[in-house]
Amino acid sequence: MNFNIGLADIIRISPMIVLFLASLIPITIKVLRGNREQSSEATLFQGLGGLMAAAILHMTVYMALEHSSNPMIFANALVIDGVSFWVGLTALIASAVALMLMHDNPSTNGEQFSELVFLTLSSVLGMLILVSAADLLILFIGLETMSLALYLMIAMSHEQKLSKEAAFKYFILGSFASALFLYGISFLFGTTGSTYIPEIVQQTGQLISTNRLFLIGIVLVIVGFCFKVSIAPFHAWTPDVYQGAPTPHTALMATAVKAVSFAAFLRIITTKSLVGSENLFNFLQWLAVLTMIIGNVAAIIQNNFKRMLAYSSIAHSGYILVGIITVGVSERTSFGASGVIFYLIGYSLMTLGAFAVVSLFEKNENSKIQIDDLAGYSKKNPVMALCLTIFLLSLAGVPPTIGFFGKFYLFTSAIGEGLIWLALWGVLNSVISAYYYLRPIVVMYMKEGEAGDANLEMGATRFAVFASAVFVVLLGIFSGPIYTLVEKALS
Amino acid sequence: MILSAVTFLPLIFALALAFWPNERTLRHLALGFAVIEFLASLAMLAQFDSSTAALQMVEKFPWIERFGISYFLGLDGLSLWLVLLTTFIMPIVLLGAWNAIENRVKGFLISVFVLQTAMIGTFLAMDAIFFYLFWELSLVPMYFMIGIWGGQRRIYATVKFFIYTMFGSVLMLIAIIYLMFLTQETLGTMSASILDFYKLKIPFVGGQFFTLQTLLFFAFALAFAIKVPVFPFHTWLPDAHVEAPTPGSVILAGVMLKMGTYGFMRWTIPLFPEASEYWAWLFMTVGVVGIVYGALVAMVQPDIKKLVAYSSVSHMGYILLGLFTFNHFGMSGSLYQMLNHGVSTGALFLLVGMIYERTHSREISKYGGLASVLPLFTIAFFVITLSSIAVPMTNGFIGEFLILLGSFKAEPAFAYVAVTGVILGAVYMLWMFKRVFFGEKGELVKDEHHPLHDLSLRELCVLAPMVLMVFWMGLFPNQFLDLSKASIDHLVNDRTNYQLVIKGQNDLGPETKTAAISTQKTGDAQ
Repeated sequence: MNFNIGLADIIRISPMIVLFLASLIPITIKVLRGNREQSSEATLFQGLGGLMAAAILHMTVYMALEHSSNPMIFANALVIDGVSFWVGLTALIASAVALMLMHDNPSTNGEQFSELVFLTLSSVLGMLILVSAADLLILFIGLETMSLALYLMIAMSHEQKLSKEAAFKYFILGSFASALFLYGISFLFGTTGSTYIPEIVQQTGQLISTNRLFLIGIVLVIVGFCFKVSIAPFHAWTPDVYQGAPTPHTALMATAVKAVSFAAFLRIITTKSLVGSENLFNFLQWLAVLTMIIGNVAAIIQNNFKRMLAYSSIAHSGYILVGIITVGVSERTSFGASGVIFYLIGYSLMTLGAFAVVSLFEKNENSKIQIDDLAGYSKKNPVMALCLTIFLLSLAGVPPTIGFFGKFYLFTSAIGEGLIWLALWGVLNSVISAYYYLRPIVVMYMKEGEAGDANLEMGATRFAVFASAVFVVLLGIFSGPIYTLVEKALS
Repeated sequence: MILSAVTFLPLIFALALAFWPNERTLRHLALGFAVIEFLASLAMLAQFDSSTAALQMVEKFPWIERFGISYFLGLDGLSLWLVLLTTFIMPIVLLGAWNAIENRVKGFLISVFVLQTAMIGTFLAMDAIFFYLFWELSLVPMYFMIGIWGGQRRIYATVKFFIYTMFGSVLMLIAIIYLMFLTQETLGTMSASILDFYKLKIPFVGGQFFTLQTLLFFAFALAFAIKVPVFPFHTWLPDAHVEAPTPGSVILAGVMLKMGTYGFMRWTIPLFPEASEYWAWLFMTVGVVGIVYGALVAMVQPDIKKLVAYSSVSHMGYILLGLFTFNHFGMSGSLYQMLNHGVSTGALFLLVGMIYERTHSREISKYGGLASVLPLFTIAFFVITLSSIAVPMTNGFIGEFLILLGSFKAEPAFAYVAVTGVILGAVYMLWMFKRVFFGEKGELVKDEHHPLHDLSLRELCVLAPMVLMVFWMGLFPNQFLDLSKASIDHLVNDRTNYQLVIKGQNDLGPETKTAAISTQKTGDAQ
């Protein structure tokens, strides 16, 4: 075998290299200081600096090499295209916000913060590999790098009981999903003789109806993804893990991890890959409907704020799955996919904001924030209460927020492909969701209470909340240009 | 520019109020802002050209070009008076609510102004998505108004209001998106402009429910019917009204309910003419049922505010009946009745609010003999009562008369039933009036520890314009109807092939273009 690694390949993965090197900085400094933590601000800035440098490189490399003919690098192992650019950027920004939350949150700050930053950046490295993987094995490597770092991060929480349970549950079910995924890959490799995704996709239309083994393979791969993005009935781990994990980690899992997993999903369900297989199409369609209903109905009866947001995140996976199905039946390359990616951006913004507000409330590492704990918050802190209101209304899909336009683009593509049935389920579910999204607003504004933030300053978190709220509204009103940019990047 | 100014000035006012440091002068500032807004809308009225049915003062800029969505504001005879009603009622509401809202005044005033932008935007937006944006946005401030400043069961009422209305509107959103794809098919480019929607010829099959035009028709009609509210979907209204603070009730009854009937006029009827005609019997039936049912239920209410709320259901039934007569009398009567209802029911809620501020009770049985204690208040209440029961010379008479005339011409059977609503209306209003103002003094009225005071100067200022409007609109209806005549004629006469053009912009062009499209379509069919 003869490997030829060109300079162009190295340049294209330079964001990953930078991220990897940056992840080593805080932990190396800690070792050099004789295993003593430096100040947590310094660690935070090193982490943020690494993420920012990676983001800047990510953008410049993409802009500079956008028009070069071959997006494939490392002998077709990785692909740098519109999906990897936009979702990678979303993941980088979301992790930066999550890092800011980690700095402020009592269950993650303190001892071992350098290790936490190292793990976060490693996890993001895995995400970047995942979004640009063009080969099933590389995709698996990205997935595992991301997940392994996360298991450790959750287990490291200062919280005593729930986080350990969450880490364990996440680890077991995550490994189970990975095993299914690998098993599926082996079937696909056996029937097509390749792990290169575009080649497999090319043969999908023909093999899916004739070859049972291929069908088993692709279903197993899809089920593996369904575990990762919590599609019902493979969602059962989500509420426990989201509730038990420290809030910043939950924010990271609900946004960056979910976004990149869906991006990888998009690699497998691409244009027309569902045409010709009625069964697979129906299977996914019912999964989407089931996920929306289970997520939204179960969220109604939750009292724990994080658990409610966990179920809401399941419901949003259902909406996004509608978009993925649209991609699968569409003949136009960028039509449904740009809707999915725009939705992922919007969803990440508003979910990050909502979790950041939860994080504001946590006074110590064992805090459990119930929805009723928010009573009277609008009097105590009107700005933050207004921000949370914006996030929740956006999650419910009320215009002119980004949540509305995300749903609009998603369902417009679905209707354009004739999936009116699914779009109808989607909008009816957003009416159900309005019921529980209104509840925290009711409690904050219409009930008397003494809700207050934690006594800590939490400047970084407050900044994150405020910035997300501004972007949720602004990117909603000016969503047109962004959507066009995404669409252009994908075609 | 004038339409953008009228639409978005209140939003700017809301921002200004948010940053205003002085709590004490907030109310004065807000009142001033509302008056400025009213003057701006009068400037709009002055520029209005009543001789044409075309859209005027149009402002159109691309907004989301990918889907043909534009920032598109336009004014014609159908929206003109509803915008003026909104801007006219706002200063009155703010002055009327001077003492009704005691805590969180700033938040309340911001909600009022955001709501005003949303309502005016709904009446002026001529792009489906832009319209939907305002339509949904109007829910949020009203949700807060009922939920924060409302009565005992406010949270139940406000959540019910929000979910109910949102349920209707999401189905409309699906229909809008579908229509956008239809424009792409027939016109080549996707567009959400209502002018392009009007050009669509949607196939209609009578007798079958699951056909294209019928489904789209019901998706729109349901959204508007819930907002109006039409009889079986009305249950959110009494809850919302009873729990809402006085200004909230006035805005809800005065303007927000009209968003539904306006939606029928602007969207449902001209977009789906065949389906509207085919299903007219259904809407006339629920209209008539609403008239009688609302009146009967109003009769037995022990609570004045609830009585007025159910009278709203009854009055909105008339408007729906008039719309589906499809003739000039019925349509113009409906438009007029929208304004009448805004003035008279708005004023009734203000009056109920005033007496509630004095006694903190709305139970009819606790009153009696108010006339001898509060003479001025009694006179004002009496005038508005007359307007509400449509006595000649008041505004209510013109509206109901035109609607009944129209329905006699179209479907006499419905008119026979609807006429009973006039009598029932007199029964519940006058009976309530008798029990509250005459007879033996009730426990609240003769309570010597809390003597009642007659109307203050502020309250007189609130009621005077309303009473003035009652007579002005009752005596000189043509001053109002003439400005809308061209638009209503256009809607009535060209209903089956309704087109709207932008004034001064290739007045002939679009018509020839539609002709070309329709021939092309028939060509395709062959």
